Formats: sequence, structure tokens, C-alpha cells
Amino acid sequence: MLEHYLSLFVKAVFVENILLAFFLGMCSFLAVSKKVETAVGLGTAVTFVLVITAPMNWLIHEYILKEGALSWLSFISEDFEKLDLSFLNFITFIATIAAMVQLVEMVIDKFSPRLYAALGIFLPLIAVNCAILGACLFMVEREYTLGEATVFGAGAGLGWFLAIVAMASIRMKIRYSNVPSGLKGLGLTMLITGLMSMAFMLFSGIQL
Amino acid sequence: MHSTAYTFRFAIYVTLVCSVLLAAAATVLKPRQVENQLLEMKKNILVSVDIRPQEGESFTRELIQAKYDQYIKGLVINENGEILPDRDPGTLDPKKEPGLFGIYERIEDGDIKAYVFPVSGKGLWSTIYGYLALAPDMNTVVGITFYQHGETPGLGGEIEKDWFTSNFVGKKIRNDQGEIVSINVVKGKVDPNSPEAYHQVDGISGSTLTGRGVTNFLKSELKKYEPFMQAHLQIKKGEING
Amino acid sequence: MADKAEVQVKREKLFSKKNLKNITEPLSNNNPITFQVLGICSALAVTVQIRTALVMSLAVISVLCLSNLTISMLRKRIPSKIRIIVELAVVATLVILVDQILKAFLYNISKQLSVFVGLIITNCIILGRAEAYALQNKPWPSLLDGLGNGLGYGWILMVIATGREILGSGTFLGYSIIPESLYNAGYENMGLMVLAPGAFILLGLLVWLQRTLNKTISE
Repeated sequence: MLEHYLSLFVKAVFVENILLAFFLGMCSFLAVSKKVETAVGLGTAVTFVLVITAPMNWLIHEYILKEGALSWLSFISEDFEKLDLSFLNFITFIATIAAMVQLVEMVIDKFSPRLYAALGIFLPLIAVNCAILGACLFMVEREYTLGEATVFGAGAGLGWFLAIVAMASIRMKIRYSNVPSGLKGLGLTMLITGLMSMAFMLFSGIQL
Repeated sequence: MHSTAYTFRFAIYVTLVCSVLLAAAATVLKPRQVENQLLEMKKNILVSVDIRPQEGESFTRELIQAKYDQYIKGLVINENGEILPDRDPGTLDPKKEPGLFGIYERIEDGDIKAYVFPVSGKGLWSTIYGYLALAPDMNTVVGITFYQHGETPGLGGEIEKDWFTSNFVGKKIRNDQGEIVSINVVKGKVDPNSPEAYHQVDGISGSTLTGRGVTNFLKSELKKYEPFMQAHLQIKKGEING
Repeated sequence: MADKAEVQVKREKLFSKKNLKNITEPLSNNNPITFQVLGICSALAVTVQIRTALVMSLAVISVLCLSNLTISMLRKRIPSKIRIIVELAVVATLVILVDQILKAFLYNISKQLSVFVGLIITNCIILGRAEAYALQNKPWPSLLDGLGNGLGYGWILMVIATGREILGSGTFLGYSIIPESLYNAGYENMGLMVLAPGAFILLGLLVWLQRTLNKTISE
């Protein structure tokens, strides 16, 4: 059992890296990967939000939204068993995420004003970080259990963290390199991401 | 600036409008979505037994329904291969009744021409769903379709393409002793001179892992249906293993 | 904060120069993907095939136009404290509608897009335009702004998808276009293009090309 979770975790971090294999969370990845310090901060925040929201959204999906999920209410009326609210998936997930982000924002503001200032506009943007919503949707689509969903959330967050910190380190190095002017910034970052993603693909041959 | 009371009122209005709109849309469109899923399933069953639209014709909703009604009969069987006569596979929920399977027969002129078994299992990224059709000898593959998967389009996603599935046609799932060996997706091309060639199909280059997944779940799924297959096996004399 | 635009009482023509600029600017100089660096996730994820990219572009364009329009109409009523969540609610509602419609009428394509339709909600272009434009401007220019940015997003998507489909699968809109003789001569489809790295590299090259041609340096 433990082995199963471990393999899921490693898979989520390396093999199916949410950023490098599924392109999720690109916007903040590109925008905040200029300095290692801010990258670490944002990476931690994303991981934290993911670890909380993944199981939370799982519970919401399982006990409220899924077809027949409201059957625990059937003592009120039989009709609850047939109710299918899964069309509300997106909007409830995003609301949970936004609420969690708000919470994280307040916590960071209180305990680390410097990090708060550095992350600036990108904190509220975690709410629209596709990595988080994406992980929640994948978890529903793949029919994970609660334990699996939590592990997957943690793995996806850590994978994202890893990618953005690696990227920030590389970008700090190349700042002093002589790059053709059109390639500076986004262009070069995309090319490097391509190479990184290729390197991460090597993990997919590993049998777990 | 707006007051707190106003903020609350506004939030409530937005929530109300959104939920009413969504609930209305979901209720109106739901029947058509369910129908789509059913039709998709029927279409795949038809394709797996090689009933396709004629040249220049396309699979419209009406055509799928008509052909399905004409040729296909659904059955529900249990783990021991016994048919439950008063059940319909359309109403079967595999999560609630894991021991029951819905299978299908292709019937023409009163004869059963093929049996269609649903197969599913893990590929590289996702669960792959498909239908495998066997001839009444329960050995020769009539056809296979994969209809739902999340494999990489262009690589693992090629499993749903004709060039891949058509390789399965005519292959055997049993060895000379009648034991299930299933069909293996090999890496690269099948060596036609190998004695194993009857049980192998060409792999998809670049998607060894998807192929391995298909190999694995085909075998375990076939074993699930073995009691039923044994009970309905029809072998014509002198025709063992092609 | 929305008052400034309202000062111009003078009636503008529907397609005045200023309004038209809302459409043309995002197509090249101020493209949402290559210049504003927004909405990249979905731009890469759905571009393996041209058909899915096309449907995705259409979905994004319609959501973007409608969300800009709605938010612009509500701009004086939205309390600034809950601004973001109201915007998200509007966008999410529109996206769910699109998803439901696709499932009902274009079932095959909705199957291929799977979770990526839902991810339109977190497409930064939509929230970005709502924040940066629709909250300060009148409905009509906002609608045009949405259309322009949607189209700007769409054409980049189409270019990447065309490149990836032709190089990766040797097809265009699903029809083989690489002659059999080329395969016989040893040509092989580039598997890399179908995978994630191909998308990154192709987009990187495209950005390079566009920025060199436009000679603007953003950073």
C-alpha cells in the first residue's frame, strides 16, 4: 500500500510533472522565475495550496457533486440519490481554491512581509494557476481515492516547485550571457523549458 | 466605495444568477449528452464487429441506432459465465455490481456471428476503454476498438486508429492447448515467421508503455470472461487454431 | 475608478479607429501569448492536432468576448473587495456553459479536449483582460478587446498546431500530406513534436521570430 502511494508520488513529481508534461501553471512559471528567492516562495505557496485543496475538492466532489453523491441525504427525500451536480465541478473547485489562496495570502502577509512584497500580484494569481485547478480536475478524471488525491496533490505541487526553482536558477545564470535580442526573455525561456521537459521525459521509462 | 451589506447582497445575486443559469443549461442538455454517450458506445460495438457505414455514408445518429437494433443483442453475465436473462447491459452499473458484465452478440439470420466483450485497463497515462469482438470459436479476433483514453494524441493515442486496430483482426487469443495467451502488442513490427505471430500485433513507435498496458489488461480481461467463453465455445471439426 | 472613460460623452462610431485598434493590436504588437505572456498553458496542451486547437480557440474567443462584455456591464456594481471572485464566477459559469454545449453537440471533440475545457477558467488571458480592460471600459470596446485578444490567441494556437501536426504526425487536419515516397526514402515523423518538448521549442522559436520582426524588446 505504502509502495503504491510512493510510486504515485514519484510519478506525479517526475514522470508526469504537471508543468513539463501537461503545461499547467505556465503563466506564473514564466513570470516569477527570474529570481530563485521568489521562485522558492511561490513554489512553496502553490505546493501548500495544492496539498490542502486536492483532498478538500475530493471530499466536495465525492459527497456533494458526484452523481448519487448526495445519497447520504436520502433520509430526507429519495430524490437525492439521483441528483447529479457534477456540472458544478469547475465553479466549486475554483471557489475552494480562491478561498484557500486568500487564506494563504493572509498567512504570508502576517509571517513574512518580505515574501509577501516579493510575490506581489502573483499571490492572488495562484487562484488562476492552472496547475491547481488542473490537478483537481485530473484527480476527478482519474478516479483517485482520498489518499491518492492527497499524495497526487503533494506530488504535483512539489513537481511544480522543482521546475520553477530549476528554471529560476538557470535564468539567473543566463542573465549575463550574450543572447540575440529577439530571443531574450520569453523565447529563450521557452526553449530551455523544452530542454528541461525532454530531460524529465527520461523518467517515463522507469517502471514503478 | 460599497458597503459591506451591499457586497454581501451582490455576492448573493451573482451566486443566484449563476446557479440558475447553470442548472437550467444542465437540465436542458443532459438528455442529449446521455444519448451521445450511449450512441458512442453503440457505434464502437458496431465497429468492433466490422459493421461500418458504406462508402460515402457517415455514421449518423439514426444509422447507428438502426444498425445496432438490427444486429446487436446485449446480455448480462455473471462471474461464472451464466446469463442473467432479465437484465439489460444498458442499465448495468459496474461500480455497484462488480461481478456482472455486459456483453454483446452480433446476430445475423438468427446465428451468432461474434461476441463483443468490453475491455479496459491502464495505459500509460489513463484508463483505456474498448471492445474486443471474438468469433464464436472464442479464439479468433473479429475486431477491436478503443473508444476512451487519455493517451498522448499522435503517440499512444494512435491505439484508436484503424491502422493499429486492424492488425488485431484474425489473430488468435488461444494456443494449441486452448489456453488463453491473449494478444501481445510487441515493440516494433511482428516477425511473420515467428510461431508466436498469431498472438502478436505491431506496436506503436514511441509508445511502448501504452502497448504494454494494452497487452496486460487484454489478458486479465479475457480471463474474466473465460467461464462464459468455455460455456459457449463452438469449434468446428478440423479447425483448431486456423 | 471606472469613471475616467465615462467622461467622453461624445458618441463614438462603432468601428472608430480607436475601437478597431482593440482588435488589431493584440493580433501582432500586443499579442496575448507572445507579448503579454498569458494563456500559455492551454496554448501548448491542445495543439497536437489542428482540429482540437481550432475548437479550443473558438471556445476561448466566445468565453473571452462574453466575459469581457458581462464584466464591463457590471463594472460599476462589482464591489472591489470581491472583484476577483466575482470575475471568476462569471468566467466559470460561461465555461461550464461552453462545456455543456460541446458535450451535447460536439461530443467527439469534447472528449479530446477533456479537462482542458475546464482549464479555460484559469486561462490568464480571460481574467487578465477582465482586470486590465473590461473593469475600466464600456461594454462595446470591451467586447472588441475580447475579440481581438481571442483572435490573437487563436492564430498563435493555429500556427503551433499546424507545425506540430505536420511535423509530428505527417497530417494536416487529419489527412496525410507527406507523400508515401518520402517515408520510403527514410523520412520519419518527428515524435518529439507530439510530446511536450516539441510544443515548448516551437513556441520559443515563434516568439523569437515575432520579436525579431517587430523589433520591440519587452524586457
